[in-house]
Amino acid sequence: MRITQTMLQNNMLKNLYSSQAQMNKYITQINTGKKISRPSDDPVIVMKGMGYRTEVTEVEQYRRNTSEIWNWMDHTDDALDKATKAMQRIEELAVQAANDTNDKDEREAIAKEVEQLQRQLVEIANTNVNGKYIFNGTDTNVKPVEVDAEGNIVVTDTDGRNQDVNIEVSKGITFDVNMDPDKMFNKELFTNMSDFISALKSDDPNQQDEMNRALENLRKGMTDIVNTRAELGAKMNRLELIEDRLSHQEIIAKDTMMKNEGVDFEEAVMNLLTQEVIHRAALSAGSKIIQPSLVDFLR
Amino acid sequence: MSTFQGLELAKKALYAQQGALYTTGHNIANVNTTGYSRQRVNFETTSPFPMPSRVMPTIAGQIGTGVEIGTVERVRDQFLDKQFRAENSRANYWSTKSEALSRMEEVLNEPSEDGLSAQMDLLWQALQDLADHPDNDGARSVAAQRALALTETFNHLSKSLQAIQGDLKEQIDVSTKNINSLLSQINGLNEQIQKIEPHGMLANDLYDERDRLMDQLSNYMNIKVDYTKSSDSSLQIADGLASIQLIDRSGQSFDPPIYLIDARDRDNVIVNEFELAYNDADNAEKGLVSTITVDGVDVLQNILSSEGTLSGLLESYGVVGGGENNLYPNMLNELNKMAKQFAEAFNTQHQAGIDANGEPGKAFFVTKDGSTDITAENITVLGEIVKDPTLIAASAVNGGSRNGDNALDLAKVFDKDIEGLDDTSVRKYFIALIGDLGVKGQKANTMKNSTDILKSQIENSRMSVTAVSLDEEISNLIKFQHAYNAAARSMTAIDELIDRVINQMGIVGR
Repeated sequence: MRITQTMLQNNMLKNLYSSQAQMNKYITQINTGKKISRPSDDPVIVMKGMGYRTEVTEVEQYRRNTSEIWNWMDHTDDALDKATKAMQRIEELAVQAANDTNDKDEREAIAKEVEQLQRQLVEIANTNVNGKYIFNGTDTNVKPVEVDAEGNIVVTDTDGRNQDVNIEVSKGITFDVNMDPDKMFNKELFTNMSDFISALKSDDPNQQDEMNRALENLRKGMTDIVNTRAELGAKMNRLELIEDRLSHQEIIAKDTMMKNEGVDFEEAVMNLLTQEVIHRAALSAGSKIIQPSLVDFLR
Repeated sequence: MSTFQGLELAKKALYAQQGALYTTGHNIANVNTTGYSRQRVNFETTSPFPMPSRVMPTIAGQIGTGVEIGTVERVRDQFLDKQFRAENSRANYWSTKSEALSRMEEVLNEPSEDGLSAQMDLLWQALQDLADHPDNDGARSVAAQRALALTETFNHLSKSLQAIQGDLKEQIDVSTKNINSLLSQINGLNEQIQKIEPHGMLANDLYDERDRLMDQLSNYMNIKVDYTKSSDSSLQIADGLASIQLIDRSGQSFDPPIYLIDARDRDNVIVNEFELAYNDADNAEKGLVSTITVDGVDVLQNILSSEGTLSGLLESYGVVGGGENNLYPNMLNELNKMAKQFAEAFNTQHQAGIDANGEPGKAFFVTKDGSTDITAENITVLGEIVKDPTLIAASAVNGGSRNGDNALDLAKVFDKDIEGLDDTSVRKYFIALIGDLGVKGQKANTMKNSTDILKSQIENSRMSVTAVSLDEEISNLIKFQHAYNAAARSMTAIDELIDRVINQMGIVGR
């Protein structure tokens, strides 16, 4: 084949361009940390990558949701713990009061304490976290228990009181984060306490039956609270499992995403170095192209 | 034999070598001229003496009378030209397609942290947060703003794709103008050549120019070139008049053939220019190319079955009846479909919920211009909702006013199979769309690279034949210079002979 200077030059330029393009590819890979930068680089990787991205976003969001659930449950648990303690104290007092040996002053004192404990329970039932009443179903903006002007305790019975507050923890799996307030801080509980207080305050010394019934009822109220707490504990266990699974999922999803589109740095750097060597060689070969021609050797 | 024939012979030799020297100089001068093919002087011996005749002198054999320049010919292989043009058309077709697809990829910007897919994920997140905190106005605002951002992304994609489509239209217009200008230039050269060839000359430099223009024409489409003798008195090796046909990608002529320059009848050469028309009917294909006429015949389909920049541009911009092959209109349609179907599914879910004020949800996504059909271009979030995010219907109808169940259901719309999207979810539909684009882009890029390589290989073979090699020219220069010098010496020798006869003969004993 007859080779002319123009051909040499054209070929050299073409090869230099393609070598530059390769360098550009590897440098982009190293700079972005990604094997691909546009769909046509590898449609399969891109399609998978888009799916993985969504998955990572979802798992991250679900984890964020679980921390919100923890927020609810920890506060619920804390409130129920305090409620249990208050109830225990009331029970103690009820047992003490049921003892017939107390005189009026002593019963008065017990009544005062029970009153305070009742208020405390009202406050617990009105536990507010970040502006949300956690013991009022979906009506978190409404105070579940009110004390009216005469000191009567009124349970605000709104529509959403028994509704579950649902938070999604996995695709299609929702978690009801609140405990039904009617299971523990119900009307009965407060009425029983009020009955107990009025029995204590009564001048009639023969309140023994009343006292015993009150004790019975209060014990039932306490069992309700303890049972609710047990249910909460079970829920917490379930959430722990879910959270555990989510954190695994997050790692796996991120890992798969990286494996799918992430660049193998060692490989990319090696490729770049190899390409650099080739490029240098091409350049030095280029310098040879401007060869002396026959002219240089003629007079 | 004439006394002075020797002088004549030497003179002819001087002329011929000088002509060759000049031609060599011309070659060297044009070493960097695009489309130039090296020229070669064909020396021919002049008629020897004596010619056979009744009165011819009786001498032994014929004596040569010297040299003359028969023809100055360019060294070129028309077969390689044909191959080059076919590959050039292909390479240009694929590079146009690859360019159009890569611009589309740039606009869609996937995979990235701010493409449509990411915006959908962000809105999904905001809806999840809203489901967690339906009583939080901040979460509501975030959801409303992210929904707005999603619609703006749709708007942006639609506008950008349309802007590129506008560029493509301009390119089609400019290409058509270029093609017509090339045709008239080629025809101008045909006319000049027709004036030169009948005199028995070869219009080498005009041929080169005409070939260069035809190479350019092959950027736009597949062409076939036939030649017609320009006159009865033209040389056998003269190229003649070029007729140019539009042919399909496999190199076949159409039936009937489509002549862009018809020089089959040398006395009546016809140039048929392209005339472009756009569809101005107010339908789905409004604005697309409807016809391209050549000599009153619509050749749009013929151009599409040919390869080259023009068919690449037409496919990208879109032609009437192009269907799936219309790159940009198709992508715009798909985005419109996605926007519409997603918005409708979302609206249905939103209207099933109730907002923070206890009112049933309104249509969440609406059109900017009040038209009934939601498209990617006009989709937006209801203005009232953006102003007052309490209007987002986060609660399910049966729940309390602070229930976030409908927000959860809204988030689920992204994964819901929608009938209008081929029974797949909006996310999956978009991924499939991008995948399809990627596959098309990948094919175009691969084809571009391989056709480029083929083209440059053929270009190399062609240059191997036609390009000027300086070494060769220099050695020719020396060859011709020596021949010139020797011819001059031979003239000196004859001069001395004649000097001897004229000045020194017959003076014996003086």
